Amino acid sequence: MSDYRRSQNEAHPNKTNTLMTGIILLLILFVSIQIWFLFGALNNALRENLAFAITTFVGSFILALASFWVLRYLPDPIRSEKGKAPERKDL
Amino acid sequence: MKDEKYEKIPNWKSDFPIERKEATHVSRREFAKYLGLLSGALAIGNGGIVIKSLYFPAEELKGEHYVCNQSDVPVGEMFQFSIEGSEIIPYILIHLEENEWRAYEQKCTHLACAVRYRADLDKIECPCHKGYFNPRTGDVLQGPPPRPLPQLEVVLKENQVFVKAKEPNKIV
Ligand code: FES
Repeated sequence: MSDYRRSQNEAHPNKTNTLMTGIILLLILFVSIQIWFLFGALNNALRENLAFAITTFVGSFILALASFWVLRYLPDPIRSEKGKAPERKDL
Repeated sequence: MKDEKYEKIPNWKSDFPIERKEATHVSRREFAKYLGLLSGALAIGNGGIVIKSLYFPAEELKGEHYVCNQSDVPVGEMFQFSIEGSEIIPYILIHLEENEWRAYEQKCTHLACAVRYRADLDKIECPCHKGYFNPRTGDVLQGPPPRPLPQLEVVLKENQVFVKAKEPNKIV
């Protein structure tokens, strides 16, 4: 059976690839910024700089929410259809 | 018909019918999810710092502590002492000039090496990675230390030297 999704995938086989790469890059960006925040907070706020600690925490929290949210757009895994023998073309 | 198929596909392949495309796709999904998890963990870590500095602030030194007699430390010399609180913290007392005294924590703010006063350079030196501090303010002059040295206030009474916690309004 052919449906819209499948014919789309067949017409643009690289689309999920690009989407996945984009999401992973975005996540890496978020995590790097968070590491930067945490590093700064450890250096700075473990002493008495509470404002810095709170600011970086809020930033880090928002970034974490953003990375959870972006996970929703992960493309579904490609499954070989049931009942059909797996194709061997690429092996 | 069946035999033909077995000839084409080796046993190990028909036992594990996993397409390469599918396998790599799934692992990247998992990688992305782990990145999300890491992101959450980092946010929690940052929250931990907030909680730590809100509810468990570093204990202030209470009262005045006797260090030594003024005559024990000539000008340009430093004196090592430690104060026992919840933990033993080593300090150095520096006699900069006549009636100019400073007291700092001895642990370098970089990786906690013991710092010392170099009268010839008029700087506090950390020998580990060549970090230098201003002996008058404790500020970092050069090198890797990220923060100034924590300072105590020196109180002179008659011939004796005492230290106490620095007034918070002096912290910038
Ligand atoms: S420990 Fe002092 S400079 Fe590295």
